[in-house]
Amino acid sequence: MGSTKVQTPFLVGPPNTESIMGYATLGRNDRPVGGSMILAVPSPIHDSKLLISGVREDDSLLLPSFPAVSFLGAEAAELLLENQLHFIDEVQGKVDPSRLIVRIPQQLGSEKLTSILTEFASLGVRAASVSFDGWLGPHDYSALSNRTMLPIDWLTIALGRISPSSVPLLFYLGFDVFDLGYAAESASRGVRLWNLSEESITGRILPRTCSCIACADHSDLRELSQDELHTVLLCHNLNIYQSILSESIQSLRLGKLRWLVESMGHSSTAATSLLRKTDKSLFAFLEEFTPTSGQTNLSLIGPESYNSPAVKRFRDCLASRYMPPNHKKLVLLLPCSARKPYSESKSHQRFIKAIEHAIGTTRSSVAETILTSPLGVIPRELERLYPAAYYDIPVTGDWDTEETEIAAEALVTHLQKFAESAVVVAHISGGYLDVVKSAEDRVSQSIVYTTDQHSPSSFDSLQSLQNVLLDMREVLSLKGGRPALFEDTLRATADYQFGPGAGEALVPDGAKLGGKLYRMVVCRINKEQTCAFIGDSGSLSLTLEGGRRLIPLHRYWVRFEGRKLEGGSVFAVGINEADSGIRPGDEVIVLNNQDDIIAVGRSEMSGREMCDFKKGQAVSVRHKVK
Amino acid sequence: MSDIIDQLEHLVVDSTIKARGTSVTKRRRRDPTRPSAKWIAPARIGNEVGMALAVVLGTVGCSHARGDSGGCTMCSYLLDGDERSATTDELLQQFDAALSDLADESTPLSVKIYTSGSFLDTTEIPADVRAKILARIAKDDRIQEVVIESRPEYVTPEIMRETRDILGSRRVELGIGLESSNDAVRSICINKGFSLGTFKDSVATAKEYDIGVRAYVLLKPPFLTERDALLDAVKTIEDAAKLGVSTVSMNPINIQKYTLVERLWLKEQYRPPWLWTVLSVLRDAWDEVGSSVNILCDPVAAGKPRGAHNCGSCDESITSAIREFSIHQDVSVFDSLDCDCKRQWHHVLNHEDISLLIHSRSRRKPVGKA
Repeated sequence: MGSTKVQTPFLVGPPNTESIMGYATLGRNDRPVGGSMILAVPSPIHDSKLLISGVREDDSLLLPSFPAVSFLGAEAAELLLENQLHFIDEVQGKVDPSRLIVRIPQQLGSEKLTSILTEFASLGVRAASVSFDGWLGPHDYSALSNRTMLPIDWLTIALGRISPSSVPLLFYLGFDVFDLGYAAESASRGVRLWNLSEESITGRILPRTCSCIACADHSDLRELSQDELHTVLLCHNLNIYQSILSESIQSLRLGKLRWLVESMGHSSTAATSLLRKTDKSLFAFLEEFTPTSGQTNLSLIGPESYNSPAVKRFRDCLASRYMPPNHKKLVLLLPCSARKPYSESKSHQRFIKAIEHAIGTTRSSVAETILTSPLGVIPRELERLYPAAYYDIPVTGDWDTEETEIAAEALVTHLQKFAESAVVVAHISGGYLDVVKSAEDRVSQSIVYTTDQHSPSSFDSLQSLQNVLLDMREVLSLKGGRPALFEDTLRATADYQFGPGAGEALVPDGAKLGGKLYRMVVCRINKEQTCAFIGDSGSLSLTLEGGRRLIPLHRYWVRFEGRKLEGGSVFAVGINEADSGIRPGDEVIVLNNQDDIIAVGRSEMSGREMCDFKKGQAVSVRHKVK
Repeated sequence: MSDIIDQLEHLVVDSTIKARGTSVTKRRRRDPTRPSAKWIAPARIGNEVGMALAVVLGTVGCSHARGDSGGCTMCSYLLDGDERSATTDELLQQFDAALSDLADESTPLSVKIYTSGSFLDTTEIPADVRAKILARIAKDDRIQEVVIESRPEYVTPEIMRETRDILGSRRVELGIGLESSNDAVRSICINKGFSLGTFKDSVATAKEYDIGVRAYVLLKPPFLTERDALLDAVKTIEDAAKLGVSTVSMNPINIQKYTLVERLWLKEQYRPPWLWTVLSVLRDAWDEVGSSVNILCDPVAAGKPRGAHNCGSCDESITSAIREFSIHQDVSVFDSLDCDCKRQWHHVLNHEDISLLIHSRSRRKPVGKA
């Protein structure tokens, strides 16, 4: 903001509160003292431009607007923004535009909003605020939705009534500043805020125990005078926000922010609805900033996880990018296991043993496909990928209707990629069986069931599996061949990571593959390495040669505005163009201004962010041209 | 800015008409020989306290509200009237019915004639009816004060002269809804349909005939924060006093049916003013101009969701202090008032300006509360 640097995210609240930035209204409160503040310019009914002279260098200004006027419709909302443009014009030269904050009204269509915001951006404005009424209904959803339309390099401020439990969600949606008015409002009503609930301090019920610095000395808050109680509650409520914001920041660093958002989403039915609606309608925005790789366990606890960005993207990506190799003639459906990757679990080791016992080297013609919720289907080749190898779900054996349908849908799409002559062997029971049954009508291949409702890893079931596989070898005249597990895995991974054609480019016929899947498999062509499969992440790391081979696909490229790289990072300031499909965590190719490859590495932000951000690390370089 | 105000005004007009719906054309039929309302209450008359009769004549209603502009954003008083214009005889019968209520009262008396519109608008009250009503008052010596109401555009030298001629030396006051001295507020927030200039002219015209003006000041039109509203009302009272009005009547909004304000209120986009705000306006304005003009306030529906209200436990004592103040013009009646909800009000004053969120909690429960 202006020339002052403030670490984001941060909190803004009633003035004169320690470690929280204060808010006030220009000309209506005492002259600000202490650190920088956010000052509201009063309503457009007043001529406020003269007040501007009282603003200090490091204060930011909320542009003038009316409350409730957007009730009059989109046209009124547009006028509110035009009026703010007009105000900027009036104070030109008196205040640095980067200290001004646009107030985004409700009701405005996305196209109109985007185009007006371009005008603000051209004037040097880089911050916007949206207002929440705290009911988490249509008004608040529309505020969230407006936020997704702001330029991504702007500071975004959430004003209004924001409960502690909404902070993680707002932070997840990219808000940088949080209004703590609700802490003050609650304190004024005698209400103590908690992460998930509110506590009214009244005469009848014994208040909860709290060890925070504000409450610790008071064993029973009811004994305090109203003034003392107000002071304690205000301090406590502000503490709660500080703690929930720091939890959100840490969760982001640990890759657990989504989990926190889902957990807090259960604070009320309205919060849950808002999260579900956000996932559904603002998926594109959320997905863009969701990392594609990670090392932390992903706890997918309830229905809010079914369509979380990482999960839905995996299903979408698998559907659009995975193509089974031609030599797969038989699809074997298997249940998932708690242990990941699946092949290291006891049950899957039994399955694999049974397969190899029955048909030996013919295993390569079997497309082992794992059914699971909520990821849908996972081909054996991709079992080590994020999030397939990192998710965890509560296991009860019962599937709800939504997860059954999600998996059935994924299965139908998956099986469409196989020839009609292929046979599907379903070695599953319970909920998995329901999935296959509900998909059956939409599947063109014939399906053979092996378990007779028994557990798939039981002796009888395994015996039955072996018999069916033996029969199928006859029926389909399957032939043994060289083991293709490495090749299949690396090609499938390449296609998944870089899109169709990548597998052939990086792992062509004749490529030499060596190593262990659980550690590393290196791919060489004529002794030159193109890529390596890393067992821990289930993904490919490129070499410069590998990157060179991917250039014709025109995907996952970043253009560095220079000839040669210095150091181990590419910064966003040096990038004006990049593939908009890039997500944080992707393996990317760095080209120079002459379209030569100069490096390969891992993206630290989305492609759009690389182009729009003026600072920050865009790519950590793995290999670069010397 | 001014063209943006103009454009906003058009939108407000559209929205006001929409809120009005068919309420104007489908008004219920009423007995045309009875006034819409009448009541008697103690009031300050000059420097004494006496009884005042207020009568609301049932007419066809305010021309502004009937017309294409949809009327004011907060007012549906015209719904008290009738679709059909009352006849000359009927209007006189209405007035007589009210006047007879004063039979047993003693001097000094005051008569206030309202019409849910403009007493001076001849489409509501024909000129001869107006003259006859005033003549009936002129016959009664106990009546020392007459208050009539009109929009400023009907205040002409001819009518003022005629009124003065008929009423003789009585104190005459002309009530005009100035609402706000800020043109932007009066147009966008209220849709009042006249400028400050028009109001000034009518104050001057009335003064020529020794007719005082009672300026109605509106507290908290829509599209303002609580503090915008507080400051605007104080400023308006000061401005009105400077313009030479004889009395200020400060009216906190009450939510009337089929108005834009009602629609906003139903969507939690409007909350009637806090009684603390009412009190604060009265005190601040009185400190500034209390020596030159009387400031009256009788908040309609005070303490109720549709009227100015606080938390519920202090509303009654504050409302009666406000009424007390109106009669005695003594701000010390406010001194001892306090309540825990004052902290909430302070928060609202500060935070609405920042968030532009209307802090309304009237009907829904907060999220997450057990």
